[in-house]
Amino acid sequence: MSIYQPRFAPSRRTLLKGTGALIAGITFLPRFSQAEEEKKLNLYNYDTYIGETTLADFNGATGIETKMDLFADMDELFSKMKAGNPGYDAMVVSNDYLERMVKANMVTPLDHSKIPNMSNIDPAFLDPKFDPGRKYSIPYMWGTIGLGFRTSAVEGGMLDSWKTVFDSDKYAGKISVLGDAQNVLGCALKYLGFSFNSTDPAELKKVEDLLVAQKKNIKVFAPDNGQDLLASGEVVVCQEWNGDIAQVMVEDKDLNYIVPKEGTNIWEDTWAIPVNGPHPGNAHVFLNFILDAENGSKIATTVQYATPNAAAKKLMPPEYTGSPAIYPPQDVLTKCESTIYLGEEIQKMRDEIWTKIQAA
Amino acid sequence: MDNWKDNKNVFWTLAGPGTFWLVMFFVVPLAFLFIMSFGGKAIINGEMSITEYDYFTGFGNYLRSLDPLYLGIMWKTIWVSAIATVLCLVTAYPIAFGICFAPERWKPILLMLVVLPFWINLLIRTYALIAVFRTQGYVNLALGTVGLGPYEMLYNNFAVIFGLVYVYMPFMVLPLYATIERLDKSFLEASLDLGASQYTTFLKVTVPLTMPGIVTGVILVFIPCLGSFLTPDLLGGANAVMIGNVIERQFKAANDWPFGAAISFMLMFATFAALMLRAFIASRSRGVDV
Amino acid sequence: MATQPKPGSGPLDYGSRLWLKILFIVIYIMLYVPIITLIAFSFNTDKRGVVWRGFTLDNYTKAWNNSALIEAMTNSLTIAFIATIISTIIGAMVAVMLWRFRFFGKGTYEAFMGLPIVIPEICMGVALLLFFNVSGMMNFVVAMPWPLNLANIVIAHVAFCFPFVTIVVRSRLVGFNRQLEEASKDLGASEWQTFWKVIVPFMMPGLVAGALLAFTLSLDDFVITFFTSGPETVTFPVKVYSLVRRGVSPEINAASTVLIVITVVATIIAMKLQAPEKSGKG
Repeated sequence: MSIYQPRFAPSRRTLLKGTGALIAGITFLPRFSQAEEEKKLNLYNYDTYIGETTLADFNGATGIETKMDLFADMDELFSKMKAGNPGYDAMVVSNDYLERMVKANMVTPLDHSKIPNMSNIDPAFLDPKFDPGRKYSIPYMWGTIGLGFRTSAVEGGMLDSWKTVFDSDKYAGKISVLGDAQNVLGCALKYLGFSFNSTDPAELKKVEDLLVAQKKNIKVFAPDNGQDLLASGEVVVCQEWNGDIAQVMVEDKDLNYIVPKEGTNIWEDTWAIPVNGPHPGNAHVFLNFILDAENGSKIATTVQYATPNAAAKKLMPPEYTGSPAIYPPQDVLTKCESTIYLGEEIQKMRDEIWTKIQAA
Repeated sequence: MDNWKDNKNVFWTLAGPGTFWLVMFFVVPLAFLFIMSFGGKAIINGEMSITEYDYFTGFGNYLRSLDPLYLGIMWKTIWVSAIATVLCLVTAYPIAFGICFAPERWKPILLMLVVLPFWINLLIRTYALIAVFRTQGYVNLALGTVGLGPYEMLYNNFAVIFGLVYVYMPFMVLPLYATIERLDKSFLEASLDLGASQYTTFLKVTVPLTMPGIVTGVILVFIPCLGSFLTPDLLGGANAVMIGNVIERQFKAANDWPFGAAISFMLMFATFAALMLRAFIASRSRGVDV
Repeated sequence: MATQPKPGSGPLDYGSRLWLKILFIVIYIMLYVPIITLIAFSFNTDKRGVVWRGFTLDNYTKAWNNSALIEAMTNSLTIAFIATIISTIIGAMVAVMLWRFRFFGKGTYEAFMGLPIVIPEICMGVALLLFFNVSGMMNFVVAMPWPLNLANIVIAHVAFCFPFVTIVVRSRLVGFNRQLEEASKDLGASEWQTFWKVIVPFMMPGLVAGALLAFTLSLDDFVITFFTSGPETVTFPVKVYSLVRRGVSPEINAASTVLIVITVVATIIAMKLQAPEKSGKG
């Protein structure tokens, strides 16, 4: 065949030279601005879990451009961050998951000198067991998990027990529960009379059997939008966070929320700074910002959860501070347990049970 | 066709980038996944680690994936995919057939109309179905005007199957159209002239001759259905879980990557089995090849 | 070759059968109703998106002002653009190589090229997630400025796009008359010149079709991007997914309609360019 010299060589060289110069140019650009943090912030949070204007207010006050990504539950947050921080500066973490992440070295200690507004926090929240001295986090909101339901569709207009979602086909096909192992298994444990944080395999097996049998009556696992399903009529009763239900209760007077008589858990959500975040300085500024009384009260008004910020609470109206959905009365509180991180072995056991239930 | 040795420079230049890309960013990741499927969470200082993994702890994950529970889901996934595929075939065949026999000037338009939805984002099309099927959705609204009660059409197997058919139907139409178009119509005419009914002609002449197209279409639909997780995730609710969802959960929420890797490979084996079945059937058919 | 029967009532004239026409219309309606309602309700004022309350373009302005959505859209388009260019080049090169040369193990190689098309997307997504993490590429790339931090996603997209380009270009090359190539060489042109001035112009419709295919595949991709994206590298389908999980809202409809329009326009252009498929023209 033909023996002509392939003339790829010269053009290839010029192409390579050009590309090399281009890449070198681009990578050199940011070096100059790396001296100070750029005015950006990446947050990772639940949906509808911040004030309506908070991010815009923050941008206005500091000039820092803020983006907020959403996750549906703690499992999603954890697995995303575990694979390596993809670029978040601050995240909302529940108390038990914070413990887990501290143990896995996934969060950095806070620089309290940059967060003077910590003085606004109610002293009861300043030294919790899961984060002594608030080394890694600031408290954000606390609350309970319970039943949201539509009074007109429910017998007697009132519910009182976890039985409705875990052990009965009364509203079959119109029930939704949360989407993560911790909260569903925990509440089911409470229903059966065991501890929310039980590690006893026999007790866990009972819960597994209970839920596998109940599965056919559950319409959908709704990690964060149970209240939407309730509002749109897809479901009639749902296991949900109290504030989520309180939010839709404002729009729809037919909805209500109760903590079942068997008890439930008390959770506390916090803001923490993950390791390898690109803008830790801005993250501290943000944490300080939301601890401010005014900003804190705006957040509480939107999300309708209980705030651990004493200064913010003072600015809230009586409908909020007196609402039993948001601030449960003492007799309810005694039946509630805090979620504890139980170690990876137990976690794996619970996850396996959960996968089995989901697959059933 | 030249022998590659005649022009090694050109050969390697042309083959280089593509091969490198596939090896580096396809084969190697799959190899990583395969290795991980034999791993497990590391035990550090007597306590199970949160983030570290041991490599090669044995076949535990595969054994676990053969647990009746997961086999049950795999079976159900195959079942659902099969039903969806058959429904696709049944709806796509008349369409393809009709387009072939339509007047010339209509053909490209009709074809484009069928293919167009395929180009629209899968997520968006699935999302559109939510609004249509939910309790306060359009279908129930329309039924409500004639007094028929709201039906639960979402968050169940019906929704998933309908969603799969809806999303993959264009995949089925194209190969069918290609085969039917190349079919020598005189065969059909001959059959009819010889006295066979339309029905018999269809069964005994048309279908066997278009079998390659049918098989291609079936494969093009069945395999994505097997691996789909978006459709059951958005439309399926608690009780219409497919194997894709289980895999996704292992990598996201359940934090058990080795197990997820093992199930992924089980899924791939199922896919390859389906493909080999296809090759087998295709080699035995005598129809017009697509 | 099939003779087209005269329109009328011949035994093969299925086109005029009533039942076929009805079936057609029913199926086409079912195919389009969800999409049309989606587009129609993007103009609705009702927040829950069910009852028609009034015509408005508010949802579009809201979507336009939603900087997260716009950024996701920009990312999607950028990734699609870059991935298309790379895929088309690589894919075409492999196509030419396969068309031109025979070599030991060619059948296996072709099957190997077909793997990304056949593997369930979710398997590829998780494999890439694992690979990027273990190899440290995830951390490395994420720290880079835009658009370099999209590199991981671009790499992933190219990996599953270029085999499609190869198939399309190859089917186009089948019609190429090698004598033209030989003539060119006999007249003194080098390999390179022959390639650019004879083969490439012939391949062009295939290249364009392949490029458009790659573009749409990349733009639409959800599964693989879902597993490999981070906060600064969210693409449009991934963003819509996180919104969709919350339920139906007209703003999503508006954003979706925009994506539909882009896709439809690209497809129509592709099909128009595919149409003059007469081979041999240089």
